[in-house]
Amino acid sequence: MLSRTAENLYWTARYLERADSIARLLEVAYRISLIPNTQEGYNNEWESILATSGTKEDYLSSYKEIKKDKIEYFLIFDDRNSSSIKNCINKARENIKMVRTGVTLEVWNAVNSFFHSFEELIKRKYYSKDLPEIIDLVKRNVNLIKGTIINTQLLNDGFDFLILGNYFERADFTARIIDVKYFILLPSTSLIGKQVDNFQWSLMLRSVSSYRAFKWAYGNSEIDYIKIIDFLILNDKCPRSLYFSVEKINFHFNRLKKNYKQAGSISPKIENLFKKLRKLSVNDILEEGLHDFLINFIEDIADVYQDLERKYFIGT
Amino acid sequence: MIIKIRHQTEYSFSDTVPRLVQSLKLIPSKTKNQNILDWKLSCSNGSLLESHQDALGHKIFNIFNYNFFGKQEIISKGTIETKDTKGIMSCLQDKVNPLCFLRHTFLTKPENEILKLSKNIKKNKDEIKFCHNLNLTVSEAILFKSGSTNNETSAECSLRLGTGVCQDYAHILISLARYFEIPARYVNGYLLEDNSTNKFYTHAWVELYITNLGWVAFDPSHKKCIDEKYVRISCGYDFIDASPIKGVRLNYLGSEELNFKLSINSEQ
Amino acid sequence: MFNEVINNSGVRPSYNKVFNWAEALPKNIILKKQIQAENLFKKIGVTFSVYNNYDVSERLIPFDMFPRILTSLEWMKIQKGIKQRSIAINAFLTDVYHKAEIIKANLIPGKLIYKNPAYDIKMVGFNVPKNIYSPIIGTDIVRTDEKDFKVLEDNCRTPSGVSYMIENREIMMRMFPDLFESLNIESVDNYPSHLVDILKSLAPKKCNKDPNIVILTPGHLNSAYYEHSFLADLMGVELVQGTDLFVKDNITYMKTTQGPQRVDIIYRRIDDDYLDPLYYKSDSLLGVPGIINSYKTGNVNICSAPGAGLADDKAIYTFMPEIIKFYLGEEPILKNIKTWRCYNKTNLKYVISNLKNLVVKEVHGSGGYGMLIGSQASKKELKKFEKKVLNSPESFIAQPILELSTVPIFDKSKLSDRHVDLRPFSLVGHKKFKLVSGALTRVALKKNSLIVNSSQGGGVKDTWVLSD
Repeated sequence: MLSRTAENLYWTARYLERADSIARLLEVAYRISLIPNTQEGYNNEWESILATSGTKEDYLSSYKEIKKDKIEYFLIFDDRNSSSIKNCINKARENIKMVRTGVTLEVWNAVNSFFHSFEELIKRKYYSKDLPEIIDLVKRNVNLIKGTIINTQLLNDGFDFLILGNYFERADFTARIIDVKYFILLPSTSLIGKQVDNFQWSLMLRSVSSYRAFKWAYGNSEIDYIKIIDFLILNDKCPRSLYFSVEKINFHFNRLKKNYKQAGSISPKIENLFKKLRKLSVNDILEEGLHDFLINFIEDIADVYQDLERKYFIGT
Repeated sequence: MIIKIRHQTEYSFSDTVPRLVQSLKLIPSKTKNQNILDWKLSCSNGSLLESHQDALGHKIFNIFNYNFFGKQEIISKGTIETKDTKGIMSCLQDKVNPLCFLRHTFLTKPENEILKLSKNIKKNKDEIKFCHNLNLTVSEAILFKSGSTNNETSAECSLRLGTGVCQDYAHILISLARYFEIPARYVNGYLLEDNSTNKFYTHAWVELYITNLGWVAFDPSHKKCIDEKYVRISCGYDFIDASPIKGVRLNYLGSEELNFKLSINSEQ
Repeated sequence: MFNEVINNSGVRPSYNKVFNWAEALPKNIILKKQIQAENLFKKIGVTFSVYNNYDVSERLIPFDMFPRILTSLEWMKIQKGIKQRSIAINAFLTDVYHKAEIIKANLIPGKLIYKNPAYDIKMVGFNVPKNIYSPIIGTDIVRTDEKDFKVLEDNCRTPSGVSYMIENREIMMRMFPDLFESLNIESVDNYPSHLVDILKSLAPKKCNKDPNIVILTPGHLNSAYYEHSFLADLMGVELVQGTDLFVKDNITYMKTTQGPQRVDIIYRRIDDDYLDPLYYKSDSLLGVPGIINSYKTGNVNICSAPGAGLADDKAIYTFMPEIIKFYLGEEPILKNIKTWRCYNKTNLKYVISNLKNLVVKEVHGSGGYGMLIGSQASKKELKKFEKKVLNSPESFIAQPILELSTVPIFDKSKLSDRHVDLRPFSLVGHKKFKLVSGALTRVALKKNSLIVNSSQGGGVKDTWVLSD
């Protein structure tokens, strides 16, 4: 497979996952706006959404104040925001367009239809009340595309690169969400364990669409700090957990290596990371410091990406 | 005249060049007025490979480098025996029909200035005399002034300035000749400018195609046809087309610095 | 003007079934099917890009559902004519880049070739693999009456539109399967495998295994990008951009996830000028530095060959009858359109005084740009063009305003006649010639308009060749 094809497939999946993540963030924000008496968390929440999506600085350079409908517009449609849903969809389509021959017609159709239906939204004036419809459209289409990939793509190297794009993005995004929440919503330890945490942590679970999953995994017991860290970082069944993403990345690295009959390790770092997470407990993480742990994790994933790039995307 | 030449070109790069391809037309032409006794190309880095002989008779060599950093030194050296044939270039290894050299490039496209100059030229049925007229007119059209023009100066532009270097003289003559439907081309080479100091320079002149004589080499910056002090290397539509070393750097954003040294000995 | 469907004695037999079918289609079905067709195109992503100075926008090429039909007899003539022409074109190119016998025989003025920018002096004396310069030729044909098909233009560089030929058929079959059951229509879907066959027959000297073919595209912003990826897919070859390739020690490689992989044949869809920054435009990022060296040393074949475009230059076109006679000793089966070469003084005089009744074309122009249709031009435009022609007569040719034949389209829901042309795609390989029985029909969607180019409001139709 052409190196560029591999790279295009990777980024297609990565941008789609990002569009989906932003839509989920917006969904949580929308939910907050419907709940009365959350004024104190309100602005924080919007700010944290910007921080999580890594666009806070961009936003503040274009808009003066933190305002709900402006942020919504910024995150969904704004061209100035390189991670706006619109830009993610455009980039995903541009990438897949360059590798039309590397995906099935069904996958292409799914991405292309998504692009065209989103184009319809762009033509309309944006009203806040349309938000649920937009979020729904994005989530539905991304799920459809992922399903189509799994259902129709040959499980060859191209498939591996698609899946890798998906999980690199997810690993990074989940780590950021946890990190942002930990810092912004819980600036001092005195607040931990109070009623407000409960609410914030449940929001956090929702932002990665794992509220239900959490309930399934831990029953109806009280949400607490430890369980959430366990669930979002170490749980092997939660598809949003860091462990899950790392496992997938490691798995697909190995598949590529085997398919290509390549000797040696593509990335010793991912193997170590995988081994480490498998043995880790919440206490270990807390000992390292949650923030430090997450920052290290994000850096590690970036290094693993470098390994991937060097091995497969340079091509010489 | 027997001449020993050592022509060294040095490129230095400020940063790593992921991929560097250099194409060389540095071997002197084989013609009746120059006989190569021995010639060798070498470079300090990368694989130097003979490619093919092109339609104009140039032996093309290429150098391929990967993740290149630092200095690239290209050395072209050898011994050559030259003769004065009054500019007549017989036995060139050229397969291209001369009429192709009626085409203009952006460096030679005639506009107002060239048209004005063309009006000063006395018509002459004798093609040879007419070509000498052209050469003379051009040699007096501008003043030699180094540094007044650059690689992208067109014939038209240099005329407007009124100054130029050998390259500009050549472009003006080419432009004018083509305007009169005389095939004309740009030639690169070396010239022994001053017998006493034995100093050679890289130089440029022009070949005009004259019926029954074939290509004849005129040097408008010296008001004459070439003689045994000239060594011919490469030719083309214009300066850019004829250039003896072309390089392409891929994915490279750093800077490039060019130096060259020329040391030449002649024996008479 | 020739109406392909209806003549004095009624509907022509070949169109009988289709015409009755079209007439019987209820209005609401027509509208519904049109929307369905558009959606199918959109979904598949068949688009072309339109350029202006500011941005690139993607458009769908308008598709009309009323098919163009040719009988097997009509097709046979076209096929023979195109084969003859394609072989002559390659013989002509071989000759002008070597001995130039045709010029020595005084059949074509040397200046017309040597001064032509499409004549690439770097190709002089070089032996291209199997002497095939232009393996893929799109011939633009117009029909002027019952019997006569004439060639309007040859496209020898990188003719586009073949994907529409295949997709139009796909969509018609999906929408109207019944029609295909009741008529014997020759299939077109073997084009990609023929193309692979033809290209494989043109392996370079130093290739001694099953050759690795790639399609070289300028990238996804190119107007024909869809076609490039479409062909790569159906041919089962890689679609590469310049940056996917590199040359090392005169060998061409593509960058893959498993390291460098040797490339033997490049079906390039980029222009000569962009192929190799070492030889052509030095600032071009679309090409591959060193690819010409790789080509010249017999390590890779570039199809079409650099300099092949000479043969489709409009000035050379006027000599096509002489070219065919000279190389094949045959009379041309498909005639040229009467053409005045403006560099000839008597011709020029005629052209200037009859500008109103002529089509004047720039010799090196394409895509319907730089062209004047005398009858449709304003006085001001005529004056302006006259000046242009007088300024550089050698850059223009003139032709009579053609009575292009008509085929109806569904205009809203009613049938209405429009002018059409025909572009079959022929393939010339080593001792091989292939022409699928089908073509692209381009149709001017504006009533009475003669411009069928997609960049200027033209549409397309499925083209059926009936088998006996």
